[in-house]
Amino acid sequence: MAVELDPTVLPVVHKKARPVRRSLVVRVLGGLFLGFAALLCFWLFVLPVLVVALSSVAAHWSGTILPDGFSMRWFERLGSSDFDALTTSLEIGMGVAVLGTILGLWLALALEGRDRRGLGAIVDTIAMMPNGVPSVVLGLAVLIAYHKRPFDLSSSAAIVVFVQLALVLPFCYRCAAAALRPELTILREAAASLGAPPSMVLRRVVLPQLVPAIRASLALGFALSLGELGATLTVYPPGFATVPIVVVGQVERGYYLPASALSLILLLVSLAALLLIAARVPRRRVD
Amino acid sequence: MSSLSTPDTPNPLGSAAADAAADVRRSASAASHTAAVKRRERAAQWHLLFILVVVLGPLVVYPLVRLVLLSLTDPHGLSLHAYSAFFSNPETSGVIGTTLWILFASAGLASLLGVALASILFFKPFPGARMITRFLELFVAFPSFLVAFTLIFLYGSQGSVSIGLQRLFHLQAPPLDFLFGVGGVILAEVVFYAPFVVRPTLASFATLDMRLIEAARSLGASGWMVAFKVILPLAWPGIAAGTILCFLLTLNEFGILLVLGSAHLITLPVAIYSSATVDLDLPTAAAGAVVMLIMSLSLYALYRQVNRRKVKGAGHGR
Repeated sequence: MAVELDPTVLPVVHKKARPVRRSLVVRVLGGLFLGFAALLCFWLFVLPVLVVALSSVAAHWSGTILPDGFSMRWFERLGSSDFDALTTSLEIGMGVAVLGTILGLWLALALEGRDRRGLGAIVDTIAMMPNGVPSVVLGLAVLIAYHKRPFDLSSSAAIVVFVQLALVLPFCYRCAAAALRPELTILREAAASLGAPPSMVLRRVVLPQLVPAIRASLALGFALSLGELGATLTVYPPGFATVPIVVVGQVERGYYLPASALSLILLLVSLAALLLIAARVPRRRVD
Repeated sequence: MSSLSTPDTPNPLGSAAADAAADVRRSASAASHTAAVKRRERAAQWHLLFILVVVLGPLVVYPLVRLVLLSLTDPHGLSLHAYSAFFSNPETSGVIGTTLWILFASAGLASLLGVALASILFFKPFPGARMITRFLELFVAFPSFLVAFTLIFLYGSQGSVSIGLQRLFHLQAPPLDFLFGVGGVILAEVVFYAPFVVRPTLASFATLDMRLIEAARSLGASGWMVAFKVILPLAWPGIAAGTILCFLLTLNEFGILLVLGSAHLITLPVAIYSSATVDLDLPTAAAGAVVMLIMSLSLYALYRQVNRRKVKGAGHGR
């Protein structure tokens, strides 16, 4: 691949541009490398998801490469406690998603353009802080604050909603704040200058523009709430175990296959919710 | 402010009265506008204070304050007894060292793997790379304890890979027995947190000016030189932010540690959890939690700093 850069010897005939030709060994090695990378991606990231699906329909899977038979018996054997956990998870997840979206939207609207200095910066920092707090620590803090009088929430699902809400809030807030773009400010100012009262501006201009962000925020809040383990495990009152808690309990006792049946249901529910809520989000401004 | 809009130079010509009236009206309108802006700004500040007290106070501030207070007090007043109790417990001695060691091993490996994968996905896309990218975006919504759980089926002593190796090499016993311990925790954290590095790295590659890379190549730079002299310095802020985020998330991880490490490996989150819910000793747990809170909040402050600088830099570049 010697390149002639001598400017005095210009070629008389214009040769057609050719791609740089590499030696066969280099090409084969490059191909092998890419194949290895693709295999690694598949092996590390796609295989775990497949394993959950495969193990939940396995009749028996221990000491063999692939399951030795397939059956649906792990789904049939799911007991009432499993379905209770599923219901609890769904209810808490919906509550957290809706509340988190509302609060996130409120925060984003109140902080728009003010999150750089003064009180706004403090509010922004505190709202984003749960992102940096370990979930166990946040769970412990909420447990300490709300397990005794005067604020005793320790026997209801409210404490679980509370702690998950704190964890989800930064994501919902970011979601809504990212959607409040400069163009939207111009639209709002235009509507206000044409005489629309603030409530009308909010209802007719801002909220319709924010629909994609609201959907994304609902989906994110729901998915995060369904999969949350550390904080929920620390605070949950008896009778309000969510699916992750039940799954981890079964795994610790060595009941792997029932646990994977339950986790597959969890994954499918959260995927379905994501698709249902976020499927028709118009892809705007991909730049 | 309003004095600027009313220049009080006397008008020598005849229409002085009309001009003065216009000036007065203009200054009055400017003043009322300024007053309205000031009023709106004050209302916004009150609104923010209201949110701080009513929403964030009970959700975030009050619990954390109670946590810190509980760790610092005992029935007689201020004391550090809870801290000495937490660290003198024989089961939790060396817990911070273990936590940091696992953090650096797994987050470091995950960052390297994530940056390498992102570079391959962006600069040498293989068939299916787009699908892998999309999948990695979804992977972030996958609960971490499930990753740890699926690894049991793959790499556990009775798992597929272990049995496959045993059959392949005709071994007496399954060869892999590392999963429930440090090795398994590091493997699971690398698998789970590498995608968190891939995404910001891809995003910062996407903002690169490809003409610079082509220019470097046309001037004869080799692939390594382009990577280390052109791409890395330009994409560095995004990569740094992704790496710090990866360290933060790995430090805060709990599910993987609970599933794979709780039996043999005491790390800070597991120690906090077990002293809170097994020993029912809330002050001691609070002391551990405050130590962990300091570690992760300082990492988080660093992340915000780097991220803000990145945003600012991008703004200047445009």
